[in-house]
Amino acid sequence: MTQKSTGKLSFYLTSLKDVYSFFFFMGRKSKKMKLFFLISILPVVVALIIKINQFFSDRTAIQGIYIFNNMTVVMYLQFLILILALFYGTSVCSEEMEGKTLTYLTTRPIAKSAILLGKYAAYTSLIIILTAIGVTLSFFILNLNDLLNFSLYKILLRDVVVLSLGLICYTSFFTFIGTIMKKSIIFGLVFSFGWENVIQYFPGSTQRFAIAHYLKSLLPAPKTGRFSFLMFRLEPSPPLLAVFMILLITVVFLGLACVLFSWKEYIFED
Amino acid sequence: MTIKEKGYTHWDGEFQDKKFPWWPITRYGIKLTFRKKFFKLFFPASFLLAVFFLAGIYISERLDDFKSMFGESVPSLQIDPAYFKTYLAGGFLLFIMLIMVIFCGSGLISDDLKHNALQLYFSRPLKKRDYFLGKTAVIVFFLFLLTLVPGFVFIIMKMIFAGSFKFFLSYPWLPLSVIAYSVLVTAFFSFYTLFLSSLNKSRLFVAILIFGIYFGSEILRAIFYENFHNHHFSLLSISANIQQVGAVIFNQKTPYPIHWILSLLVLTAFCILAGFVLKKKVKGVEIVK
Amino acid sequence: MKPVIETQHLSKWYGNVLGLSDVTLEIEPGITGILGPNGAGKSTFLKLITGQIKPNIGTCFIKGKKIRNNYPLFSFIGFCPEQDAFFDELTGWQFITGLLRLHHYSPAERDDRAQKALEIVELVEDKDRVIKSYSRGMRQRLKFAQAIAHDPEIVVLDEPLNGLDPLGRRKIIRLIKSYKGEGRTVMVSSHVLPEIEAMTKKIILIHQGKIFAQGDIHYIRDLIETHPHIISIKCSDPRLLASNFIQEEFVLNVKFSSAENTLLVETNNRDKFFSLIPSLSVKNNIEVEEITSPDDNLQAVFDYLVGK
Repeated sequence: MTQKSTGKLSFYLTSLKDVYSFFFFMGRKSKKMKLFFLISILPVVVALIIKINQFFSDRTAIQGIYIFNNMTVVMYLQFLILILALFYGTSVCSEEMEGKTLTYLTTRPIAKSAILLGKYAAYTSLIIILTAIGVTLSFFILNLNDLLNFSLYKILLRDVVVLSLGLICYTSFFTFIGTIMKKSIIFGLVFSFGWENVIQYFPGSTQRFAIAHYLKSLLPAPKTGRFSFLMFRLEPSPPLLAVFMILLITVVFLGLACVLFSWKEYIFED
Repeated sequence: MTIKEKGYTHWDGEFQDKKFPWWPITRYGIKLTFRKKFFKLFFPASFLLAVFFLAGIYISERLDDFKSMFGESVPSLQIDPAYFKTYLAGGFLLFIMLIMVIFCGSGLISDDLKHNALQLYFSRPLKKRDYFLGKTAVIVFFLFLLTLVPGFVFIIMKMIFAGSFKFFLSYPWLPLSVIAYSVLVTAFFSFYTLFLSSLNKSRLFVAILIFGIYFGSEILRAIFYENFHNHHFSLLSISANIQQVGAVIFNQKTPYPIHWILSLLVLTAFCILAGFVLKKKVKGVEIVK
Repeated sequence: MKPVIETQHLSKWYGNVLGLSDVTLEIEPGITGILGPNGAGKSTFLKLITGQIKPNIGTCFIKGKKIRNNYPLFSFIGFCPEQDAFFDELTGWQFITGLLRLHHYSPAERDDRAQKALEIVELVEDKDRVIKSYSRGMRQRLKFAQAIAHDPEIVVLDEPLNGLDPLGRRKIIRLIKSYKGEGRTVMVSSHVLPEIEAMTKKIILIHQGKIFAQGDIHYIRDLIETHPHIISIKCSDPRLLASNFIQEEFVLNVKFSSAENTLLVETNNRDKFFSLIPSLSVKNNIEVEEITSPDDNLQAVFDYLVGK
């Protein structure tokens, strides 16, 4: 790498960092973040109710880790991360367009792709933190009796990583959608709660066209019984392939979004 | 003559209240909804389910012909209140109604908050009641097209296809059930949508809330039920409550073994809460601290 | 002198609507005013030269380099957009320092520059209030502050005086005028001639997407003075008044309006005409109810230029 290109790369990374800091700060302060925090804490409330009931109930308590794996994680995986990714992913571009604040960003000495990537990274970080807090709290509540069993923490780490990968991937996809479509919400909802759910019931390789397939491939197969209805899936892909596909999808959609954002002309509606 | 007297004339007549001051709001809201690109695709598609059920009514009158074509394997198709309940209180129609309110309702109040239009509304001879009526009527218009209108079309077409009033005479209360259920579900969705629309200036955020809360409540119900095996957790789910009351309205067995009054109370309580919040949120002047 | 901003055959369409047509200009250091009625293409032109939108035909160069997607050039450019839009949940201070962060300044330098910019626009006392609570004038001044905070060489201002009170206007005009002495290039757009006149003598007239005139403001002023004005007079005896006016050499035309007792007079010397009205009305005992000048605006100047 020549000195010039190293310098350019360093400048680009600095721009990314500056945009990231700006939007991380702004996102943290926003009212919507507070509301989404409350929504992402909902599984914690559910976990608390279940745990309190276990304390006062005569019935043999189900293992906390069982409930955690089959309920909490699934609530995040099939619902919450989709909602968070849909809102924040589409907001990367649409927020600046609707608010007419894009001009302030595009008249700074930073590449347009750095604006998009920096904002994407900021929002993804925020929602990963939100999700991680909720998942971790649920884990501690449900496994209150078993906190000294350190093998369980591996499961927590695994689940946090899988949910984070899901957020990274879904947010990149919705960032791309938000870049090409002005009103992307309906498409996003149909994709998240239509395509991602329905396609998994299709035989053969069709299920591999859903991001959810790769995320579920990283989690253990659900045992039959309670909650198994929540984790339906067909043949999973090998974990390494699943991670590779998730990262590939992320890179491809982010790349497309960067190209489109840099090339496209955005005209504000009066 | 002093200058003050010149330049404008006083109105000597009596000011008259307009009969339906909320109508321009409704008319404009409906117009705006139809202007959306994707709505033009979605709107006709939303009637497909009704068409499918109407075809079922037709087939029910021509069952012998179909049996002669396809043999005795054609199952019998009974058009009764259960059929109406299956259409009107079914999960699929509720989903379509949800998408419909996202299109027509998510921006109703949030756009006014975003563009500071409330001051413009309330500086006219328009009461808050008229403002809410106007906005609600937009949602009512579209939801009645999916519930009340098809319900009555089914009744009328059944009688036309049968060539007699037998169906109506067998179930004379059915039209009232259709009206009651349509009013119930439309009123709930109107409060639900307007309440969420008043919470934020971003239409995108409101749309996600509308969708998320509806489906989130159903997921919560399923999880709590699986853990506690208690049907009372169905009170947490919006769709479960609507289906519970819908079953009673059509004189059918309720899907959950809990008293339907509880579901009605939950829905009513939500509407009352939404009403309070709406009254507080919709103001002519916003004070920014 | 080498031009700082150069456009060649710049044209822009919004669908079927023409935004700008074949604009070829060279802008040198100093203050240049862009004058035109609403919808003339001023904002389109400024958006094109700052790379916000793509031209359909033509190119734009800033310091000899193409502007479109050339982000390093924005180190030298400050842009104050027309639209009233902000990150509403931020305070004024956070807004300015946040945008300065994107110029890669150190935290100390950011704070210093933000403080200076806010001092210039007199928003220091309100810097910790959320932008949502700012008045129209404060928001406009904040917009101006973000355009100058990084000390740009080229300042592009799209209707910067909108929403400002007379005192605020005077301060901003004084500031803009000070940039000339510093060798900066400033482009200011407005539809109000006296505003532009107060800032600079170099103006560009835009109308219907085309450049109508470019040069000294006195030329435009003379045009306004010499182009025929129409004045409407409502009085008790318009015919008598008309017969008196018609004898004057600076009265070009007299017509009777469809409105009751109203006379329309075309004159090429407004000052002389206005000084004549009182003496005529007293001499002939005519009661004058109302005097208006329907074409006393920039649109009339443009209509006249088009006619020319």
